[in-house]
Amino acid sequence: MIKALGYFIEIIRGIVITSRHFFVNFFFRILNVLGIKTKRKGAVTIQYPEQRKEIATRHRSLHRLMAREDGKPRCVACMLCATVCPSECIYVEAAEDPELEMQKYPSKFIIDIGRCCFCGFCVEACPEDAIRMDTGKIELAGYSRDDLVYDLDKLLK
Amino acid sequence: MVKIFIDEKSFEVEDGITVFKAAKEAGIAIPHLCYHDAFPPEGSCRMCLVEIEGLPKLELACSTQVRDGMKVFTKSERVVEARKGVLEFLLAEHPLDCPICDKAGDCKLQDYYETYGLFESQFREVKEKREKKAKIGKNLIHDEERCIICKRCVRFLKEVTHTQELGIFERGIHTSVNIYELLPVDNNYSGNLAQICPVGAITDTDFRFKTRSWLLKKGKSICPLCSRGCNISIEYHPGFPHFQVPKKVFRIYSLENPDVNGFWICDLGRYGYSYIDENRLDRIMIKKEEQKIEPTWEQSLQFIAEKIKGLNFLKKTSQIALVLNTWLSNEELFLIHKIFKSDLNVESIFFADRPQSEGDDILLTPERSPNRRGAQEMGLSIQPVKLETLATKTRLLLVFGSSIQDQFSSSDIKKVLDKIETKILFASHSNDLISFFDIVLPTALIAEKGGSLTNVEGRIQKFSPVFEPSGDSLPEWMMLADLGREFGINPSFYEQLKTPEAISIETEKEIPFFREKK
Repeated sequence: MIKALGYFIEIIRGIVITSRHFFVNFFFRILNVLGIKTKRKGAVTIQYPEQRKEIATRHRSLHRLMAREDGKPRCVACMLCATVCPSECIYVEAAEDPELEMQKYPSKFIIDIGRCCFCGFCVEACPEDAIRMDTGKIELAGYSRDDLVYDLDKLLK
Repeated sequence: MVKIFIDEKSFEVEDGITVFKAAKEAGIAIPHLCYHDAFPPEGSCRMCLVEIEGLPKLELACSTQVRDGMKVFTKSERVVEARKGVLEFLLAEHPLDCPICDKAGDCKLQDYYETYGLFESQFREVKEKREKKAKIGKNLIHDEERCIICKRCVRFLKEVTHTQELGIFERGIHTSVNIYELLPVDNNYSGNLAQICPVGAITDTDFRFKTRSWLLKKGKSICPLCSRGCNISIEYHPGFPHFQVPKKVFRIYSLENPDVNGFWICDLGRYGYSYIDENRLDRIMIKKEEQKIEPTWEQSLQFIAEKIKGLNFLKKTSQIALVLNTWLSNEELFLIHKIFKSDLNVESIFFADRPQSEGDDILLTPERSPNRRGAQEMGLSIQPVKLETLATKTRLLLVFGSSIQDQFSSSDIKKVLDKIETKILFASHSNDLISFFDIVLPTALIAEKGGSLTNVEGRIQKFSPVFEPSGDSLPEWMMLADLGREFGINPSFYEQLKTPEAISIETEKEIPFFREKK
């Protein structure tokens, strides 16, 4: 009985806290809307997706492959990213380029975003600065799992 | 025997050996690039410098002989400093293209830089541009920039193959290894050059850019492509299951075994690995008319055992015929000998092997199968298949391997097989033959099973599985032991044969050759 009363008191305390936040935020929000500047901003919600927060420069978003001046990927298919990847979501197949300077290039470069844990190790491991995670794209949903498998063309865009 | 001190520990070593060998025996590693156990010391890389008490300069461990009471220091300050200096000079002209170098991961220069170097380069000059992909042989590509002039390749071609296709040209900084007058390295041992190159200067086109060495798993095995029985390391990628990329063998390296192959293997064995992955049978196949049995090993086993039992009951075991091959291990040949020759008195045992081809006087033997000697010593006479004999009186035919199609045309084989009541094929690869048989059972390869092989010199070598058999394949010894147990002449004997080792023990008990060689 006493135990049940204890729960009841806690529920009431919870309701009090929630409503305090609501009314305090409500009050400051109204002041802000009326043009009265206060230190507190009131409502913290952002009207996503119309309104977006600025992404921090170090934020790790969707990968991209860097291209050389002639449009070919910078990647030399050294497979260090595939080696370091903890979720084994990168697959690289190398091929030989007849051009003398860059002999090795990726004929296939696949990242399965559905498996990726966005740790950024691939970016750190890359000796050529060929892979970056700075596209700012964070909405990566797809209708099927295959939509989340990014190949060379998709990553180079 | 002389007493020497290495790093202030005393060791008793043989008189006349070099400091390098003495240290190796004592378990102290001295870095080296040009030295190789197969050749006399060259002393061109200067990596093995050690300090010897009483001598003013550092000495080369690879070419200095031990003296009584000699005090060698391999980790002193002067030595460490000198190694750094040597590495700095070696790396002065060495391109830092490790990301695209196939040797990365196996590269000694890379390893030594990590262990003994780790300096900031003081060279401000631009590295010299040189030929990066000169084709110097049918499978070899030479990168002059990466070459450190250790001359291992030149010495190999001079001392092992005696063909001397490579030479050293120019002097000083312009020194390079090259072929003479566009005559490429063309011998059956050229693949070894890529393996012994301590850096990535010589790479082979077969492995070039395919994968990275650290992604490969390694397993010791025996080369089954001729009867020499060279010790090999099969390097394979376990596959990327998330990308539907299956297991694949990428290269074969030789392993050191002074009694069999020394340090080398031939190109036939090195590059002939595609059979492991390509065109494999991995499901049991049963012809449509035989609706009664399901394609599982247990069902097929019952079926075969019933057939044999029936013929044995009627005392008509002479109507059983076997076509064997010498890719079967000693254990499997023993089981066949035991089941069919001793227990059932089957007389029609034939052998069908790949046709013999040319050998050479280094390693390659004319036979193209690994266990011909084993079959001979087992007491099985190696008689070739006679199709007429098979056609006349056979009712049950068991064929191991698909080599009969090398000897006879498919239509001839089909004609004969149509007359035989029950035909069973044990094969590892899919081919034209499989449609002629009632039951086709997939078998494991040497790389996928355990056992032992007898090489051309009569040496018995054990091997263990490197990876799992593909699909439903089973090792032949397992199937034969099951078969022996199933038709019940001596079930308790076959009951205990659960591993190749157990079969091997029985072989030694019964066949004197294997007992003596043990």
